[in-house]
Amino acid sequence: MKNFDVSTLAKMIDHTELKSNSGEKKIKNLCEEAKQYEFISVCVNPANVEFAKKQLEGSDVIVCSVVGFPLGMNTTEIKALEAKKAVEQGATEIDMVINVGAMRDGKHDYIREDIKQVVQASAPAHVKVILETCYLTDKEIIKACELSVEAGAHFVKTSTGFGAFGSFEHHVRLMRETVGPDIGVKASGGVSNFKDAMRMINAGATRLGTSAGILILEGAKLFKFAPAAWLEPEIPCHTCPARSASMAKLPKALYQYYTNMCLKCDHREKYNKFYE
Amino acid sequence: MNGWMNKIVEVNLNTGKQKTLIIDEEVRRKYLGGRGLGLKLYTDMCSADTNPLDEDNALIFLTGPLTGIIQTAGRYQVTSRSPLTGTIADSSSGGFFGANLKKAGFDGLVITGKSEKPVYLEVTEEGIEIKNAMNIWGKDTHETMKMLKDESSSNISVACIGPAGENLVPYAAIMNDKDRAAGRGGMGAVMGSKNLKAITAFGKKEIPVSDPEGLKKMISTINTLIDKNPVTGKSLQLLGTSVLVNVINAHGMYPTENFKRGVFNDAEGTCGEKIAETILQGRSACFKCPIACGRKTKTSKREGEGPEYETVWAFGAQLGISDLETITEANYTCNELGLDTITTGSTIGCAMELYEKGVFPEKLEWGDSSNLVKLVEDIAYKRGIGKDLALGSKKLAEKYGKPELAMQVKGMELPAYDPRGAQGQALSYATSNRGGCHMQGYLISPEILGSPVFLDRYSIEGKAEIVALFQDISAAVDSLVLCRFLQFAISIDTFKDMLNIVTGLNFTEDELLKVGTRIYNLERKFNSEAGFSRKDDMLPPRFLEEVLTEGASRNRVVQLDEMLDRYYKLRGWDKNGIPSEEIMKELGI
Repeated sequence: MKNFDVSTLAKMIDHTELKSNSGEKKIKNLCEEAKQYEFISVCVNPANVEFAKKQLEGSDVIVCSVVGFPLGMNTTEIKALEAKKAVEQGATEIDMVINVGAMRDGKHDYIREDIKQVVQASAPAHVKVILETCYLTDKEIIKACELSVEAGAHFVKTSTGFGAFGSFEHHVRLMRETVGPDIGVKASGGVSNFKDAMRMINAGATRLGTSAGILILEGAKLFKFAPAAWLEPEIPCHTCPARSASMAKLPKALYQYYTNMCLKCDHREKYNKFYE
Repeated sequence: MNGWMNKIVEVNLNTGKQKTLIIDEEVRRKYLGGRGLGLKLYTDMCSADTNPLDEDNALIFLTGPLTGIIQTAGRYQVTSRSPLTGTIADSSSGGFFGANLKKAGFDGLVITGKSEKPVYLEVTEEGIEIKNAMNIWGKDTHETMKMLKDESSSNISVACIGPAGENLVPYAAIMNDKDRAAGRGGMGAVMGSKNLKAITAFGKKEIPVSDPEGLKKMISTINTLIDKNPVTGKSLQLLGTSVLVNVINAHGMYPTENFKRGVFNDAEGTCGEKIAETILQGRSACFKCPIACGRKTKTSKREGEGPEYETVWAFGAQLGISDLETITEANYTCNELGLDTITTGSTIGCAMELYEKGVFPEKLEWGDSSNLVKLVEDIAYKRGIGKDLALGSKKLAEKYGKPELAMQVKGMELPAYDPRGAQGQALSYATSNRGGCHMQGYLISPEILGSPVFLDRYSIEGKAEIVALFQDISAAVDSLVLCRFLQFAISIDTFKDMLNIVTGLNFTEDELLKVGTRIYNLERKFNSEAGFSRKDDMLPPRFLEEVLTEGASRNRVVQLDEMLDRYYKLRGWDKNGIPSEEIMKELGI
């Protein structure tokens, strides 16, 4: 497993606050923390872009705005307009959510165009495409990555943090393998400590979206004393989306997809034996 | 030196004389304060032959370099030899007493000798005065604190013993600031053996700080880190330590009926959420602490503080009791009489199992709460069966021919986590220098709470390393005399920054960690001279031979031997758990 110093890690973190109940006080704190810990960006809702930009004046921290967030179900025109406005107000990175339903329906041209319009409206800002991997099969994730690259996106990103589950290294690895080395991969949702962060980075993530950035950096300071076992991969099932699939949160078809994935997996016997 | 008042005074209660101890700069750097410096002073003054309740024994109250300055640093640390275990012992307590002692101009007090008559010490900016305590001897801790405050000022902090300490119950606590306790290891009995009823402290002296501007930023950083951590920023604030009841029960490692089971069916009735719904009146905080985990509560009879997680368990699941009102009353009674709630409850649980096995003469049944509060009183006054229960579980179970039924390590009762559910915690219990305690290495943090990361609780891989690391960090933090809860949120690197900003020392993280390692080894050296060895780094056979039959930790036993071998090797100790000359030399002991 690769090791990173704290400052390198900080420059990989989008310090994130996207809850609907976050007022200016929280955004101000977010920006202060981003400056103090030298995160690469703050990731905020469009309504907070201008305010965040002001708080960050004179610092290297950039503003990242989400678009079509969190469901991705706005029309393309609205997403493009939302992106354009965010860039005008100071955002230099845009995290857009795809229309997940259209992706599930196989409307690939629509998805490509949806992304392309946002990319064009956002220029020169960089665009990260949120796939919401929890609602896609592996095949769909691969296809969505290909469409993102074709549409000129700069990053693909796993999750909104509002879906059935967040990022898993299985998905990050799949995305990295698909987009190749020249496109960024952002892992977001459920990245809550240093070990999670390292797991994602080693799977191919070049950016992390998290509200736990400070915890991650504080944890990283401890790890130089930590025994190797701390960083060793756990039983694969602990970090597998199939094992984490929730019947309550996932649609029936996807729940069955993940259940089947689990039933066919070679690790299953080892897992059951370990816990029997 | 910044961060210190540069004054530790030895008070000899035989002669009434006071002597300021000169602490060498190198010693301060090697042992800091609190647990570390207390250990160093103790081992310089006393030997493994010292009887804990003899007048020759020293009782050391120490603050640390951050006391009175930083969040949670109102604490103090007491060091002596434990009358319960015979090991070196340290016990820590929150509140404000430590801050007041330091602001009165004293980093610590070393109490030696024994007064002919009951006395208390009044510590002010003017000095230390030994005063007659005849009128408060026999009073409970709350009454003692009230009388001393009435006599002096409501601003003072009082650390005192109750009847349990006066009666030399080997697990008597020292209570301060009403309901804060230096609970474990029987420091209250050592205090009682010296006829020392209380110490009062108050002061407003400025504590010198090396970098005041840096300190302001550091205080803000600490607040941020506390706020961001889900344990310190949310769980402990909302539900107090009893937030753990449902968590640990769900993991099948909530010890029930003297650790016979790992799932308590009535946990819902005694959990943090239930406390919040029923008896909770408000939160209480120690010195400058934003967490405020303390619970102000009220029963139908009176008001008080608690119960904390361990106490909810000790008088609850451990005894099969789910009557929250009685559990809380038993807690209040322990606070007033000055008893360690963990050992008190666990010893009663041991007696219940002895009764179940037909060897204990008095009827004590699982789930029967009708006599619980009276039992606690009987222990403090050593009345009736209370005299037996006051022995602690180890001696009690030995007396009745069933030593295996005492759930203890080195004579100290285990707290509320069944080691079969967390292999690292099991090793930590076994190798703890003060006995069966969770505070010297809280492996529940990574194994259950995922802080700083989740570790597989069933695996023994890497656990020796993690236990040693946690034990050393904890010893270092105890020597800064900060609340352990900060360890959820703050790394050793930041602790080092705090120390440097306040003192102006230029510690590295490695150096601070080495302080912890040094302390752990010196404690071990003292214990080995007192006859402790591998045979004592042992868990009760229940955990090594019997599996839990239900819950999420079922079908497991502790794989202790394998972990112990690795742990000793890693520590540089021999196969018997004794530190080598080389490691002592390397650590400058």
